[in-house]
Amino acid sequence: MKPGQIYMDNCITSRPAPEVLEAMRPYWEEKFWYPGSFVSTGEAINTELNSFKAVIANSLGAAPDEIHFTSGGTLANNIAIKGLAQANAKNGKHIICSVVDYPDILTNAAYLENLGFELSYLSADSEGFINLSELKASLRKDTIMVMTTIVNHVIGTIQPIAEIRQILDSADHNIYLHADAGQAYGKMPLNVDELGVDTMSVSAHKIHGPQGIGALYVRKGTKLGQSIHGVKRVDNLQTGGLNIALIAGFAKAVELSFANIKQTEAALRELSDYLIEKMEATIPQIELNGPRGAKRAPHNVNISIDYIEGEAITMMLDMYGITVATGSACASQGLQANYVLMAIGKNHVQSHGSMKFTLSRYNTKAEIDELVSRLAEISAELRKRSPLYNALQEK
Amino acid sequence: MQYSEKVLDHFMHPRNIGKMENPDASATEGSPACGDQVTVYLKVDDKDLTIKDISFLSYGCASNIATASMITDIAKGKTLEEAKKITWREAMEALDGLPPVKVHCSVLAADTLQTAISNYEIAHGLKEVPNFSKETILDELKKIIYPQVGEDIVSLKMVKYVGFTDGEVLIDLNIPSFDQWRGNIADEIREHLEKYPEVKDIQINM
Repeated sequence: MKPGQIYMDNCITSRPAPEVLEAMRPYWEEKFWYPGSFVSTGEAINTELNSFKAVIANSLGAAPDEIHFTSGGTLANNIAIKGLAQANAKNGKHIICSVVDYPDILTNAAYLENLGFELSYLSADSEGFINLSELKASLRKDTIMVMTTIVNHVIGTIQPIAEIRQILDSADHNIYLHADAGQAYGKMPLNVDELGVDTMSVSAHKIHGPQGIGALYVRKGTKLGQSIHGVKRVDNLQTGGLNIALIAGFAKAVELSFANIKQTEAALRELSDYLIEKMEATIPQIELNGPRGAKRAPHNVNISIDYIEGEAITMMLDMYGITVATGSACASQGLQANYVLMAIGKNHVQSHGSMKFTLSRYNTKAEIDELVSRLAEISAELRKRSPLYNALQEK
Repeated sequence: MQYSEKVLDHFMHPRNIGKMENPDASATEGSPACGDQVTVYLKVDDKDLTIKDISFLSYGCASNIATASMITDIAKGKTLEEAKKITWREAMEALDGLPPVKVHCSVLAADTLQTAISNYEIAHGLKEVPNFSKETILDELKKIIYPQVGEDIVSLKMVKYVGFTDGEVLIDLNIPSFDQWRGNIADEIREHLEKYPEVKDIQINM
């Protein structure tokens, strides 16, 4: 079987839509021009750039000049977080995030701590929701910013961003709110005003756009310190060149996902509900990690299969052409159990045996049937081999 | 993960897999916390001391299962004295190598085989229960693999000092503060030494 024939690791990256490839083509060919020049070619491409910007802005309920293109979600997060910290350092040095945030946020938090900022790390409950009363109690006179991840990248928990904003508004001074929307964007409606975010990062390749392009939303009037220094030809924040072809592809991917975002969300939820239901009916001794229902991202399914190890499960599925992800230490770069699962109170066996399936509109129920039947077979085989499972049978 | 064909073969079709009824000796090493655990069962001919039958169970990744499969295959039919000489390196080479970050999984399988043999010998009066000493600590440290390069920390000269007094183990390691594997190595050292009842406290200085 071909590698990745059944692809269910869409939170890492997703298959570019054929329409996206088509939309990019002219910009690799005749329209290779550079935006930011005043001659006719530059003007023409500038007009198109602005129309693409409007597409992204529209999808978020933002204005076009609040959108800045970046090379992806990570650069967007860095420009926003470092920029907000730098611009507001004179007002305070306290920043809040949570223990379950996306690595972009946690690594920036560690960096800022090294620079002398003080960080508070909120805990999360057993479903991955951050502790809001802890947030309230953590606010200080010198708190300048809260950073959060809208949809948890491991277990799909949707954080209550609007409620977080309300708590920040109860403080007697302005506190900025930065959100990573990498796993939320294109999966559910997102409106920057309803969420109350000041800055927010999004990425193209998780919604069937090309790799290497993303965007940062910056609310009008929000000042960011300069992180990237260079020629300010097109964008003050992200200096240097822009890849117009990737931007065209990004805009097309957004158009496709947002043509009917409620329908996009419902279709993904139908698939993930089907997967959860089918696994729970077929494979004994498994449990869902993260919340059930509307508070879970519609494309994320994360389960722990007790008594067996996730790298082995992932490798066996791979042999059958099925691509998925695991939270096992053995499959991680640092050989550590997944920090999100450990933070929500799972034990090592649950973390090492956790499997993550992230779906896209290109997945089908037939593929899910195939996955579940293989997974049932593999689980039974690996349990037969497992000393933990055998010890349990003896009891 | 770049696994060899042989690793994938032994992972998908492990030899000698399964629980053994009435083994002459067995041993379990590793723990769910570190992500792998292996049990090895032995049937030994008590006249010529050869391994008549051997099997294993594994809670672990593909390389863990493959190495246990290979090492039990190598040990089958050998005398206990011959089997004592089987190392993780031999099993790894027989599998056409492992990615460096996976070498520690092969050590666990080799380790479990040696413990099973030792358990047999102790139970049959072939040897005394060994005294715990500084040598025991050093032997355990030789089983701890630095994941970056897939070599043990003793060969890599990362162990600067080992001390053992009144149940207290003191280990000085030569690992820079920015090394991403510091935590893993400390965890593994603790796990290897905490199983000895003689060890009351472990201090690791880096």
